Amino acid sequence: MSVVSRFGGLLTGLMGRQERILILKELRETLRDRRTIVTLFAMPLLLYPLLGLAFRFVALQQVAAGPPEYCIAIENDEDATWLLHAMRLGEERMEQQFRATGFLDRPTECPPQVSFYVLDRQEPGRLEHIVAGGQADLGVRIHYRDQMMTRELPGAHVETVKCDGSLVSHEAADYIEERLSAITDAMIAPQLRPVSLQIPNALSEQSHIVEPQRQSTALLSLLPLVLLLMTVTGGVYPAIDLTAGERERDTLESLMALPLPRYRILFAKFLAVVAVTLLTGLMNLLAMCVTMYSLQLESMLFGADGLTALLVFKLFTVLVVFGFFYATLLLLLTCSARSFKEAQAYLIPLLMLSLAPGVSIAMPGWELNYQTALLPLMNMLLLARELFENTASLGPSLLALLATAAYGVVALYAASRIFGNDAVSHGSSSNWAELFRRPEKRVATPSLVMSFGLLLALIPAYIFASGFLARFVDLSMDWRLLMSGVTTILLFGVFPLAVLKWYRVDWNTALRLRTTRVFSWPAALLMGLFAWPWIFELVRLTNSWGWTSFGDRQFNQVSALLNSWSATPFPVLLLVMAVLPGICEELFFRGVLLSGLRRRFSWRMSILLSALAFGVFHVVLAGGLSPERIVPSTVMGLLLGWVAWEAGSVLPAVLLHVVHNSTLLTLARYRDEIALYTKGLGVDYHLPPLWLAISAVCLFLAAIMMHRRNGLAWHPVPKHVSA
Amino acid sequence: MIVLDQLTKSFPGKPLAVDRLSFRVSPGEVYGLLGPNGAGKTTTLRMILGLLTPTSGDAAVNGCRVSAEPLRMKSQLGLVSASAGLYQWLSVRELLEYFGHGYGLPREEIERGIEKLTRIMGLGEFLDQRCSTLSTGQQQRTNLARALIHDPPVVLLDEPTRGLDVIGSQVVFEYVDQLRQLGKAIVVCTHQLDEAERLCDRFGLLHHGRLRYEGTLASLQHETGKRSLVEMFLAILSEDQIQEQVTS
Repeated sequence: MSVVSRFGGLLTGLMGRQERILILKELRETLRDRRTIVTLFAMPLLLYPLLGLAFRFVALQQVAAGPPEYCIAIENDEDATWLLHAMRLGEERMEQQFRATGFLDRPTECPPQVSFYVLDRQEPGRLEHIVAGGQADLGVRIHYRDQMMTRELPGAHVETVKCDGSLVSHEAADYIEERLSAITDAMIAPQLRPVSLQIPNALSEQSHIVEPQRQSTALLSLLPLVLLLMTVTGGVYPAIDLTAGERERDTLESLMALPLPRYRILFAKFLAVVAVTLLTGLMNLLAMCVTMYSLQLESMLFGADGLTALLVFKLFTVLVVFGFFYATLLLLLTCSARSFKEAQAYLIPLLMLSLAPGVSIAMPGWELNYQTALLPLMNMLLLARELFENTASLGPSLLALLATAAYGVVALYAASRIFGNDAVSHGSSSNWAELFRRPEKRVATPSLVMSFGLLLALIPAYIFASGFLARFVDLSMDWRLLMSGVTTILLFGVFPLAVLKWYRVDWNTALRLRTTRVFSWPAALLMGLFAWPWIFELVRLTNSWGWTSFGDRQFNQVSALLNSWSATPFPVLLLVMAVLPGICEELFFRGVLLSGLRRRFSWRMSILLSALAFGVFHVVLAGGLSPERIVPSTVMGLLLGWVAWEAGSVLPAVLLHVVHNSTLLTLARYRDEIALYTKGLGVDYHLPPLWLAISAVCLFLAAIMMHRRNGLAWHPVPKHVSA
Repeated sequence: MIVLDQLTKSFPGKPLAVDRLSFRVSPGEVYGLLGPNGAGKTTTLRMILGLLTPTSGDAAVNGCRVSAEPLRMKSQLGLVSASAGLYQWLSVRELLEYFGHGYGLPREEIERGIEKLTRIMGLGEFLDQRCSTLSTGQQQRTNLARALIHDPPVVLLDEPTRGLDVIGSQVVFEYVDQLRQLGKAIVVCTHQLDEAERLCDRFGLLHHGRLRYEGTLASLQHETGKRSLVEMFLAILSEDQIQEQVTS
């Protein structure tokens, strides 16, 4: 009985006859192809043993290379000095003892390199915590006695703290204990006792062991990435083959001619892709377990418990949810492709993007909590890593699984809207010349493709431009400000306007440059003046979720930058840093982009999408990634989009943006004076409740003034301003 | 009976692909929708099948309109696509079973259908072979059988002899003749005008999405003063060229 027939038997109990037949056909098409089978079985069987051998090789290299290095945690500098003296004395006594046995020289050994981790503060159990956390190999605590051991060195009781299961920790302890014992022996044996040693019992020692905390290693960060990515690679080929492949082979037309709703046909394909993905995941898990067991890597990676059946089950659950989610992503992209080649071109960036979270979680500070559980891809990688480390908590784990499943459902819904529709079946087959050809007729608004194309072009252009500007550190601040202003105008103003001009898009309608009701202006002004406290608190909120790139160092850098501006006339700063970005960004985001989105989506959806683009733009453009800006910038984008919609014009949104930027800049400029009233703007600072209350009241009043149906309109504005 | 009423399709930034196309085909009649490449034939078939949404107008089979009941409409149509488009990893039997189930037929009816089509189309020798191993002629016969598995009252054939040799084309002609005898309404889209003359009872001459002439061969000869369909098309093309020169 073939695998497909067995699967058919399983499906019989789960769904109707027609669904079963649809899925079986997709599975037959997929599993009878040798390329799928190779991806499914051969790749994991080859990859994991090779990876396992590489891990072992690296581990052995680390153990064998060079003299041993011991990091010893100690409570203060005085103790470190005492220990160094004692070790030197012990070394001399050992040498002496060795010579006493009749040999001239001790066998040469590589002396260890000892470094000290001196505790920053004295707390009970701090030394144990440091050793258990792996920050030092061994802890040494010294209790001095009244008796002197030598003329210079007081006697002491030495307490060593070893880490359970750590070979290095035990070796370091042995190294110290051997030398202390040599001193003790010399004290007890009179023939060995030199003049320098005073009286016996001036030295005693004691050791105890602490349980190590679970800690992340680079290997444990890499393993989830390998496991999850290898799993989804199984779904890549079927996803392409069952969608774009069908289109390319001309089988999709007869399939779509069947009297079945599109979503049922797509759902069958989806289940087939999920099935193959899960089979690949199972094979990968199996290959990983066998590799771990056979190469005896499980205790090295997972501690004393090793790789348990429960852990394997939990990992498989993660693979099921992740496979489901990734299959929907694959189908979403491949549905819109017209050929195998095109689908591959879409999927390669997705696979590359999937690597980024894997690399990110290798960095310190990332853990699965209720906030990171909502980040797609990242949440599953973090969950898999914490399962490996046995540190996963139930709540965030469940949330991560549910969120991923929800994202999958959304992606599947989007795929069902695209699958087999007109636009994809008969999309433009224009050549490059046609793409750049100037149309004969004027149009009122840019197309969705044009708007998104501009957005995609602006993001890298702005990153490059910011990077180039940052290289001119030798230029004066005035010149740098001038260049920054020109860059903003060129990128957000001249470039989009030139594109609109070329494609004969009317500037007035595309950018929504219209007069508006008189009440829109004071409303926008009020919002611009009083939105910042809530935006500030949103930044603090996202910081509290752990989404931050803004530590003390960055805070100091920004302060230094603000200080360097003090010589520049404030109006110039306002013009370059507040007015120009406000005007240019609004013309693009609430002008070009919003008009383009409106061609396809409802007003609400258009505002939401433009706000998301605005939020993402501010995350990317802050001299690197600033995840804490996504929420406040998106909220600001929603507010600006709503204002542009209510006013029927982009101009009040420009005013709001300019005033908001100017307010922030003013606050930054006069932060020292303000600090006198606010007890300083530290990293953990929150604004006083009274400020927030005043801000909320002003925003509420402004919203009432801005809202069209309040009867305050100077003149009516059409409901749908541009379509 | 299939009826097209003012069916129109436009794509953004392009001239009308199909411009207010209307015709009807009765049971037992073979209608040739003829025209050069890009005339709008395939777009018309896709609109009838519900694969493309018409910009305006409608199509109906036995009173069932594609705009109102697209799925019911599809169940009354059989499509023979221009390329065989078979699933390479399925056997011919599996393919026919799959499409039978797709049309919602019970298993017994599918088995009877396969038996009948095997007899008529001569599928017996390769019924259990995978489609990837079939010759071009066998693939085309399988393609024809797939369109008839649910015994539809209307059959749409899109360039049915494309890529076939003389013998393969003969199979198609015989097949169409059998369908006519079975009382099916048949629409054949082709640019092979000489073949169309042999196959079809009535013709619609399509150019730039518009139906320029419609009727039997005799009536078209009478109307245009030309003897063959090829001559008629050449006359249409030269008229268009003159028209374009005048407007430019």
